[in-house]
Amino acid sequence: MRLGPTRRPTPRRTGVAATACVALASVVAGCGLGGGAGSEGGDDEIVIGISLPLTGDFSEPGKGVQRGYEAWADYTNENGGLLGKQVRLVILDDQSNADRVASDYERLINQEGADLIFGPFSTRLVVPAAQVAQDYGFLFVEPAGAADEVFEQGFDNLFYAAPAVADDHYNLLAEHILAMPEDQRPKTAAYATMDDPFAQGTAYGLRDKLAAAGVETVVDEVYPPNTTDFSNIAAQIADSDADMVVGGTQYQDAVNLIVSLQQLGYQPDLAAFSTAPTNPEFPAAIGDKVDGIVSPTGYTPEAAFPENQEFVEFFTEKHGHAPSEDEANAWTTGEVVAAAVEGADCADPSPECQQSLIDHLRENEVDTVVGPLTWDAQGRPQSAHLIQQYVDGEIRIVMPTEQAEADFLFPKPAW
Amino acid sequence: MSASLLLQTLVLGVLLGGLYALLAAGLTLYFGVMRVVMIAHSAFLILAAYLAWFFHRETGLDPLLSLVVTVPLFFVVGYLLQRGLISRLRPATLTMMSVLLTFAIALTIEGLLGFFFTGTQRRINLGYSGSSVEVFGAHIAVVKLIAFALAAAALVALFALLKLTRFGQALRATIQHPEAARLLGVNTDRIAGFGFGLGLATAAIGGTALALDSTIYPSLHWHWIGPLMAIIVVGGLGSIPGAAIAALLLGVGQSLLQIPMGTTWAQTVFYIALFATLLVRPQGFFGGRLAQRF
Repeated sequence: MRLGPTRRPTPRRTGVAATACVALASVVAGCGLGGGAGSEGGDDEIVIGISLPLTGDFSEPGKGVQRGYEAWADYTNENGGLLGKQVRLVILDDQSNADRVASDYERLINQEGADLIFGPFSTRLVVPAAQVAQDYGFLFVEPAGAADEVFEQGFDNLFYAAPAVADDHYNLLAEHILAMPEDQRPKTAAYATMDDPFAQGTAYGLRDKLAAAGVETVVDEVYPPNTTDFSNIAAQIADSDADMVVGGTQYQDAVNLIVSLQQLGYQPDLAAFSTAPTNPEFPAAIGDKVDGIVSPTGYTPEAAFPENQEFVEFFTEKHGHAPSEDEANAWTTGEVVAAAVEGADCADPSPECQQSLIDHLRENEVDTVVGPLTWDAQGRPQSAHLIQQYVDGEIRIVMPTEQAEADFLFPKPAW
Repeated sequence: MSASLLLQTLVLGVLLGGLYALLAAGLTLYFGVMRVVMIAHSAFLILAAYLAWFFHRETGLDPLLSLVVTVPLFFVVGYLLQRGLISRLRPATLTMMSVLLTFAIALTIEGLLGFFFTGTQRRINLGYSGSSVEVFGAHIAVVKLIAFALAAAALVALFALLKLTRFGQALRATIQHPEAARLLGVNTDRIAGFGFGLGLATAAIGGTALALDSTIYPSLHWHWIGPLMAIIVVGGLGSIPGAAIAALLLGVGQSLLQIPMGTTWAQTVFYIALFATLLVRPQGFFGGRLAQRF
């Protein structure tokens, strides 16, 4: 629902807030009912409210996102701030808890005086957080939450700050394969995917595009996340002798499946696995047999976008190591919101301003560390993941051509 | 299903069954000797796998050499565990309370592994990890063959120990009738401790075999304990040959069923076999009278 310019809570929320205030009256001094009476940002600063899983299941990626947000804020402040004002981050810990994340955003908007909000981490937390943002009419840009359900909730304020949703991760590879002459193109493909919406989305996105173009699916196996023995799945793939193998994988499943395939002497022309190959542990786990393995990636420090080079330099100086995907997506979120703020020339919680921020992102392209981004009406980014491939033991960008560090190896060398 | 896939699957099933057989042998031994349900057996398995991985990482030597340390170490730990903790449980509630006690031990091991080695998934990368030998068109991975050979050798040694030595006789006597064994002068307390140590030593061998060809992480043991428990019930509690035969049959069954049913449903073969056994023949298909008392 739309709210008045004074950002008054809805009646239901007033009830909750009032109860909470009575309960907390002796503890919290500034618990005003008008919303944001306590610590509202002054005219000289822009307050950005964020809730992140700093403890609990998602604490590792949560802290990565925090580093990314903080680096972006420092960089922005060092370079003159937003609209000439300094930005200040208010970060709460939602303990990876979906109930907590909603109340965190209520608190950020009502009590912490947030002028803008950034999204939390992971699909499970993004959906409840986006609901609160929607209720208050806030722009909601989020760094994680690529699964379909995020975009099927009818949010009109949500934007995913990454190049592509799971189904589109392999788009560049699919285009490349379909552009090959008919007689060189792989004719059969084998798919093995973890029973997980994200991992499956990546492999099925590619499968559906290739199947529509006539690449026959000869194996299509789904395994539960706890599977550790992949020899039987590998046996089926090896027996089918498919021209290409695609794994909708996370980490250990890809490693075990690849080793099992090698043990069976299976030699495909193309081997693509999501997530695992971009993990620094991967080459150590597979040994010297990684060459030719392909993986989509949402971010790599090597990407040649000018924004990215600045980001990598700034981040590396600050933290002593290059940024990872979580950190980059957080930074991207900052860039996207900043572009909207500068485009709409406002950064306050009023529905008019928030709506003009949303409208700006609907109509404009934003240059980010993961390349130029635009979104569809549900907030799905319309770009594509880079395709990386192991060449001489190093993971290199091979697609798109303008970003490529090495030529795409096809057919891949024997493993 | 083509003939070559069938053959390949059978081979993989037998290799997997061999590892199951060794692990189940240890588990059934505890129960045979002491009526102890040892939930922590697979946690010790993963501990041994971690020790093999750690040994390989630190020294660069073949992880199989870690057996020289882990097998005696686990034997001693098993003996101490039995004498120090498990023998103190009241005999009347032993089976029940041993579940709780060993559950706690399993959680402790898992927690400590996570503390020292983090939850990151580890894998030993050997020069021969991806190598295989070809027999009649079926590929047999070298690491799986080594694991199977280790398991088979350990099982044969265990069987010979039980059948041919005086200690084995005493242990079997303790399994069959503890009171009668005591009357004949067998020190059943000490024998039970040794039996427990022996069971844990099989976990050391099994864990090293596992580490050769699998990624390991601290909570992996929950994945193993269910199938192993099912195997020893199907095989007949306390019967080592029964456990070995049931392990091979179920390992091959799981492998074969994976082709028509997929990985998710093939896992249920253990539990279906467990339910069927309890319905039709609660004492197990290969075991003796032992289980009838429970």
